Amino acid sequence: MNRSAKRLKISINFTPILILAEMEMLRVENIVKQYAGHLALDDISISTKKGEIFGLLGPNGAGKTTMIRIINQIIGPDAGKVFLDGRELRRDDISKIGYLPEERGLYKKMKVYDQVLYFARLKGMGKQEAKRKIDEWFEKFEITSWYSKKVEELSKGMAQKIQFIITVLHEPELLILDEPFSGFDPINAQLIRNEILDLKKKGASILLSTHNMSSVEEICDSIALMNHSKLILNGELSAVKEQFRSHTYAIQFKGMTFGFANALFADFSLEHSEQINENTAVAHVKLLKGNSLNDLLRTVMQVVEVESVNEIVPSMNDIFIQAVKAKKGGDHE
Amino acid sequence: MSKIGLIIQREYASRVKKRSFLVITILVPILIASLGFLAMWLSIQETKNIRVLVVDPGNLCGGKVFVGMEKNPPATFYFQQEDISLEEFQHSEKYKAYDLLLGLDANVITNKGIKGFFREKISTQVEYYIRNKIELRLEEYFALDYGISLNEYRIIRQEFNFHLENIDPEKVDTSYAQWVGFFFSIFIFIFIITYSSQVMRGVIEEKTSRVVEILVSSVKPIQLMMGKIIGIGLVGLTQFAIWIVLVSVALFLMRSFIFQDMMNPENLANAMGPMEGMSADILSGQMDVITKDSELIYIIYQGIPWATLLVLFVLYFIGGYLLYAGLFAVIGAAVDSETDSQQVMLPVMLPLMFSYAVGINIIFNPGGPAALWFSQIPFSSPIIMLQRVAAGTVHIGEVILSLALLTAAFVVILYGAAKVYRTGILMYGKKASWREIFKWLRY
Repeated sequence: MNRSAKRLKISINFTPILILAEMEMLRVENIVKQYAGHLALDDISISTKKGEIFGLLGPNGAGKTTMIRIINQIIGPDAGKVFLDGRELRRDDISKIGYLPEERGLYKKMKVYDQVLYFARLKGMGKQEAKRKIDEWFEKFEITSWYSKKVEELSKGMAQKIQFIITVLHEPELLILDEPFSGFDPINAQLIRNEILDLKKKGASILLSTHNMSSVEEICDSIALMNHSKLILNGELSAVKEQFRSHTYAIQFKGMTFGFANALFADFSLEHSEQINENTAVAHVKLLKGNSLNDLLRTVMQVVEVESVNEIVPSMNDIFIQAVKAKKGGDHE
Repeated sequence: MSKIGLIIQREYASRVKKRSFLVITILVPILIASLGFLAMWLSIQETKNIRVLVVDPGNLCGGKVFVGMEKNPPATFYFQQEDISLEEFQHSEKYKAYDLLLGLDANVITNKGIKGFFREKISTQVEYYIRNKIELRLEEYFALDYGISLNEYRIIRQEFNFHLENIDPEKVDTSYAQWVGFFFSIFIFIFIITYSSQVMRGVIEEKTSRVVEILVSSVKPIQLMMGKIIGIGLVGLTQFAIWIVLVSVALFLMRSFIFQDMMNPENLANAMGPMEGMSADILSGQMDVITKDSELIYIIYQGIPWATLLVLFVLYFIGGYLLYAGLFAVIGAAVDSETDSQQVMLPVMLPLMFSYAVGINIIFNPGGPAALWFSQIPFSSPIIMLQRVAAGTVHIGEVILSLALLTAAFVVILYGAAKVYRTGILMYGKKASWREIFKWLRY
């Protein structure tokens, strides 16, 4: 499939973005990692596409960091394989990966410039190229005045920016960002979010691990949800959301709630209703037995005057909690 | 540049550029040179003359002792027949000038007991001198009793000049050289501890600041560990090289300007006292003292195999440092903060401390079995072997064997350390026990 995709890219080169989106960037196959006390990863397989932002989600201790460390070749898996760009991961692939660990850290006594240069060169960049890139990024963030400051003189947010630059300086094809927004004030979080989207636009693939569900909703194309070392949800964000659709609608209407409820019968279920003012109410109604929204509207229009209808789409937050709880319930059975 | 090269460069530069490095590198040789100067200078100074008040109610000494023709006797004797109380000696203005009170009981000849009181403790050497003089004087009573003339007795009593020498005439007396060897031992001990613990601190710093997480996403843990160990080791060697240059310059300057007279053979002979003028009836105990004084200076400039010691110092420092730095890196990786490291450090510090203690004993017995064994065991050989080399009690084959054993040991230790390090640096928030550390070896 990979080869055909490449051929496709050559022949239809005027829509490269579209083609890129179809190609695989990272594939993790049946990864198992056992620690002395517990199983950290239990046969996990995920794959991310080129140029997409992939959200790796899960509660604390689910195994996300272990997974990320394996992709970064910091530790090795007990079983399973990791493929990058269609090839099995090799040692020199580390220059293609940029990693922003959740546990941020820099040398406190080292000057900012020397430090960024050092990490860039450890990633395999040449000295001159690295220097040029550093100037570029520091000018972009308007922080060239920090060059000769020691990290201990910087605030936490400032150090975070430096660390972000270190992560992306060598123009990695795959960015692995572990909780990239934590520690930033809203303005800087926005700045980083824009940078991430910008990098995506430039073709970078991004693996994002976070607890911040609103940011997942905002920027992720696909997600994988892990819990207790297992993968419990995986797919494109829209598909996952579709999967968790409850076919529940919020209907705002003028008229009697009592009449409205009576009209529903057995084909619909009234989940919740609320009187907004004297003669306006909102009701949450779930469709049952293959009924459509049209059926619902037809039914209620006879008794009330409908003002608006919205589908209640589960938020990522709801999905997260629901999926993790369902799994927990399942575990107990 | 390779990644390990980059790490070495950073570890080295970040330390050498520190102001504390500069200060220590300059201050220590100044300190050593001044101490050395002080020791040499003191060795040619006259010692304080102890004034001894001998209370001799029976007038057994007849108001005098035989002192011979010494130029600078360490003590002078004053006699008094009238007995005094200790309190009087202690407080009376009249006796303030005396440092030591000796009481000769009238029965001293039969009970053979002499008691003395000092104001300030006197050196064993001076004590020996005083005792010798008084004993000699009193023994003359026995001599006379047995019908031996005073002159005859003094001839009998004169000590033999008992002197041990190396059968190889090329080799000079090494008792001072042994002290120099011990000095090297202390030096290598301090060097190993200082720089190995810097490795530990470096590892802890990277671990607690979480820098390690980015580092290991770019380089292998073993590259990181070896880069750190090598970089810091080079700092040690740099410091050592600077010290050697500075101390040599200082010694050279001292030799050219201050001890110039001493190095002149003619003056040396003079300093040793008018030997030709000494007749046989001079007690020779003091002769040695005078000879040895200038011997220290002589030995420092001529009697020590400096070149050999320096080369071996570098080799044993490298070996010992790699061995202990590996162990300290393990400790750094296993703990979460420097305060936690104290306990875990104990088993690593013990062999170092033990070697140091053995080193002290070896000064007095450089050819004994302790010296033989501990100069081969890799954990102690860097500290012990230099002493044996300085003392000249070692064969070249033994040095080669001990270096080979040391190399084998640090290779094994570093191999194991790398495995433990790899696991330990990513374990945050807990202190590993030695049992866990051994478990990590198998990962």
